[in-house]
Amino acid sequence: MSRKILSRRDFLKIGSGLLAAAAGAKFMPKWLSQSGEVALAAGLRAPTVDPDLYLVGTDGWAYLPGQVPIPGTVGQYYNPDSLAPAPFTTYMFGFADTTGLAEPLVHSRRMKCQISAPIFWVDQGQEYYVKLGNLGLQMRPDLVDSHTLHWHGFRNAWPVFDGEPHSSIAVPINSHVTLYYKPLDPGTYMYHCHFEETEHVHMGMTGAVFVRPSQNGTPIGGFTKFAYNDGDGSTGYDREFALTLTDVWAEAHWDDAHIQLPDWTSFKADYHLLNGRVYPDTIAPAGLGTNPLTGDLIPAPGYEYLQYQPISSLIKINAGERALLRFINLTFGQQAMTLPGIKMKVVGKDATLLRGRDGTDLSYETNTIYFGSGQTTDVIITAPNVTSLKKYLLYNRNYDRMSNGDGSGYGGQMTEVWVYPAGTLPPQTTPNT
Amino acid sequence: MKTLPIFRRLQPLLAVVLALMLVAVPLYVARTAPADHTEVPSTGIVCTTNDSATFTLTAREGYIGMTDGNTIYMWGYAEGKDDFQYPGPILCVNQGDTVTIVLHNALSEPTSMVFPGQSNVLANNLPAQPQFDTSGQLISLTNMAPPGGSITYRFVASEPGTYVYESGTNAAIQTQMGLIGAFIVRPSMGENYAYNRADTEFNPDTEYILMLSEIDPMLHQAVERGQPFDMRQYKARYFLINGRTFPDTLAPNHASWLPTQPYGALARIHPYDPVANPLPALSRYVGFGVDVYPFHPHAFNGRIIARDGRLLQGPASEDLSYEKFSINVGPGQTIDSLFSWTDVYGWKPSGPQIPVTLPSDQNLTIGAYWGSAYLGTQETLPTGVVSFNQCGEFYHIAHNHALQQITGWGVTLIGQVTFTRIDPPLPNNCP
Repeated sequence: MSRKILSRRDFLKIGSGLLAAAAGAKFMPKWLSQSGEVALAAGLRAPTVDPDLYLVGTDGWAYLPGQVPIPGTVGQYYNPDSLAPAPFTTYMFGFADTTGLAEPLVHSRRMKCQISAPIFWVDQGQEYYVKLGNLGLQMRPDLVDSHTLHWHGFRNAWPVFDGEPHSSIAVPINSHVTLYYKPLDPGTYMYHCHFEETEHVHMGMTGAVFVRPSQNGTPIGGFTKFAYNDGDGSTGYDREFALTLTDVWAEAHWDDAHIQLPDWTSFKADYHLLNGRVYPDTIAPAGLGTNPLTGDLIPAPGYEYLQYQPISSLIKINAGERALLRFINLTFGQQAMTLPGIKMKVVGKDATLLRGRDGTDLSYETNTIYFGSGQTTDVIITAPNVTSLKKYLLYNRNYDRMSNGDGSGYGGQMTEVWVYPAGTLPPQTTPNT
Repeated sequence: MKTLPIFRRLQPLLAVVLALMLVAVPLYVARTAPADHTEVPSTGIVCTTNDSATFTLTAREGYIGMTDGNTIYMWGYAEGKDDFQYPGPILCVNQGDTVTIVLHNALSEPTSMVFPGQSNVLANNLPAQPQFDTSGQLISLTNMAPPGGSITYRFVASEPGTYVYESGTNAAIQTQMGLIGAFIVRPSMGENYAYNRADTEFNPDTEYILMLSEIDPMLHQAVERGQPFDMRQYKARYFLINGRTFPDTLAPNHASWLPTQPYGALARIHPYDPVANPLPALSRYVGFGVDVYPFHPHAFNGRIIARDGRLLQGPASEDLSYEKFSINVGPGQTIDSLFSWTDVYGWKPSGPQIPVTLPSDQNLTIGAYWGSAYLGTQETLPTGVVSFNQCGEFYHIAHNHALQQITGWGVTLIGQVTFTRIDPPLPNNCP
C-alpha cells in the first residue's frame, strides 16, 4: 500500500546497473568487480619485505545500543540504521587486520572492518613494516576514497610514511603500499586514516599504537616492563591496557550509509566509545581472533553483536600490581576520564616522559585525566590490597556523555577495574587481557 | 567524501593562490606592503613596532573572505588610519618599555581594550577599572572610548612573553566580531630569546604565530543588520588561523588578494643541523575562541616552554617545560612552543634509499604538495597530477585535531589547517 519513493541509494543502484550494462564487464570500474584480484594490476611491484602487519581499509557494520531518532520523523532512526543487517546498527569505516591471510581471504574482509582498529606495538629502534591496502567502500561505490595510515605523533616523520594525503601519497582502491617505521621515541601514540580525515576518522578508522622502550627486559625497581626509559623504574608496570576514546555522531554515520553529507560544524556526538564499544559492552570479553579459514573475526560466544568490536576494556589486576593505562583521545572533544578510589599517576603525555630537560620530575597524581583530541596520557595505577574481588569504575566525568543514544542509564566511555587478591591472575601476555 | 573535495571545489581559487605564491612572492613585498612595513617576509611573524612603543589603533568595521566564497562583516583594530584588518596588528615591544596605546573608536557603540597579563594598566592616566552605570550594573570590563571618541591606555611591559589584547566592552560580541590581537614582549636577554632563559633561544628567521579564532556567521550578520544576537544561539561555523581559513593560511603575509587578512600561517624551516641550523623554530599559539583548540603539528612535538606569558620554570630555575604533539590552546590563553625537524634517516635517491618499494605512480593517489619520497628531489609526476611542490621540499600539515573544526559550514578542509614546509638544507634550489 505504501508508496515507494526512490531514494538516492536506489538511483545509485540504477546508475550502477546502467553503467555495467553499457560498459560491459571488462570495462567495469575496479570497485564494481567481484574479485579484487582483477585489480591487482601490472605495474604494482611487490614490497621488498613481508609486512609485520597487513591492514586494509574498508567499511562495515558495528553495534551500538539505544535509539537516536531522526528529528521530524516518526519511528525512523539514525541509530539503529534501517540498512544495518541484524544484529548490527551502525555504518562504519575502519581497518581490518589481514596479516598472514591468503589474498582471497584479504578481500573477504571487505565490508568487515574492525572497530576500534587493531592495537599494534613496536620496540624502540625496531624496523617495522605495515602493508596498507584499500578494499573500497562496499556501501558507497560512488565514493572513490583512498586511504592512508597516519602514525599520529611520530617524530621526524618523512612525508612518504606520514599518510597526510596532500603532502604524501595515499592508497587508492585495490592498491596497497608498504610503510616503514623505525620509531626512536617510546610512548603511546595513535593511528588513523588521514584521507578525508574528518569523515574517515569519525567513521572509525582509528586505533592505538605504542612504542616499547629499550629499557624493557632490564630489571629496574622490580619491573622488567616500562612505559619509558625512566632509569629508575618509576614507569614500570605488570599489566597494560590501551584505552582509545572515540565518539559517534549517529547522524553522520547514517548520512554516509544513505549518501548524504553532514555539516561537520554541527557535530554532536551521540555515543562515546572506549576501544570501539560503549559500557557495559566495554567489559564484555574480547573477540577470539581471526578465523584462518574464512578470514573473518570470531566473536566470543554470546557476543555475536560485538563480532567487529573485539577489543575489551576490562582492566583486571592483582592486588599490589601496577597497571599502565594508555589513554588515547581520538574523539572530537576534551574528555575527563575519572577513576575514583585509585590514584592515577600521570607519567607521560604525547609519547614523552614527564620530565624537564634537566631531569625535573613533572609526573603527578590525579583522579581525572582531562585531555584533548589527538592527545595521549600514560597513567600508572597501583592496585590496592584486597582479600576478595573488588570493582572500581573508570568513566568519563563529562556526564552529558555517559548515556547511550537514548539519554538515560549508564553507558559511554566507562569500564571497570577488577582487583583480585594477590596471585589470582597469571602474568599478562597481551595488552587488554 | 569523494576525492579531495577541496581540490574540486576550490581548485580555481587554490590555483590562483598558489600560482601567485610561487610566481609573485618575490614581487609582492614592494607592491603591497604599506609604507611603514618596509620589509615584510612572506612567512613568519610580522611585528608592528616602533621605538617609542606607542601605537595608535582604530576600532572600525570591514570585511574578510572565507575560502568557501563567503564574505563576513567584521570589526577590527586598524593601525592608525589604515584600513580595517583582522586580527589586529601584532604589537611587539621590549621588556621594560612603557607602552602607550591610543584607541580611536570608529564604531557605533562604546569599545575598550583589556590587556590580560599586564599589571597597573592606566586609562587616560588613571588606573583602568571595570565600568558600572549609575545603578551599579557592570557595563564594561574596563574604561571605554565612546563612539567617535578616543582613550589612551598605558602600562609597563614588565614580563616577556606572548599575550593578547582584546575588547573589554560587550566582550562576547566584540571579540567575536574581531576586536582581538596579539601582544609580544621581547625579553631583556634579546629578541632571539622567547624568555630570559638561555634554552629559549630560537632562530629569528623561523618565528611564527598561530592566532586561533572562530566565526559564527549568523552573529556577524545580525550585527551588520543592527539586530540583537542571543549568545545562547552562538554556534561557530568557521575556524581560522591568523584570520584566514585554509588554504588562504598558506598565502604569504600581506598577500594582495587578502587585503584585510594580512597574516599568513605557513611555517618554513630547514632540517636541524648542529652547525648550520642549530636553533629551533618558535610558534606562539594564541586562543581567541570560547573553547580549547587541540592543535596538532605533524612530524614533531612542540616543547611547551611557556603558558600565558610565563616561563615554565621552577623557583630554582628547574625546567618545567614538556613536549606535546597535540597542544591545547584555551580561550584567551597563549602557549609558546619550540620545535625542529631532524632528518634522522638520511635517505637519498643515490642511497640509502627508503627501505620499501613504492607502487608505480598510477597505483597511488599523489598529494598536491608531494615532490618525491626524498627531500630535495622532484620526481616526474603522472599526467593530470597537480603539484605545488617547488624544489623537492617536504610539507607536513599542522591542524586542529577536533576535526569538525577543520571544516567550515559544510565544506571540508577549510578550517584551522596550515603546513610546515621543510626546505632541503642550504644551499638548495628553492625560490
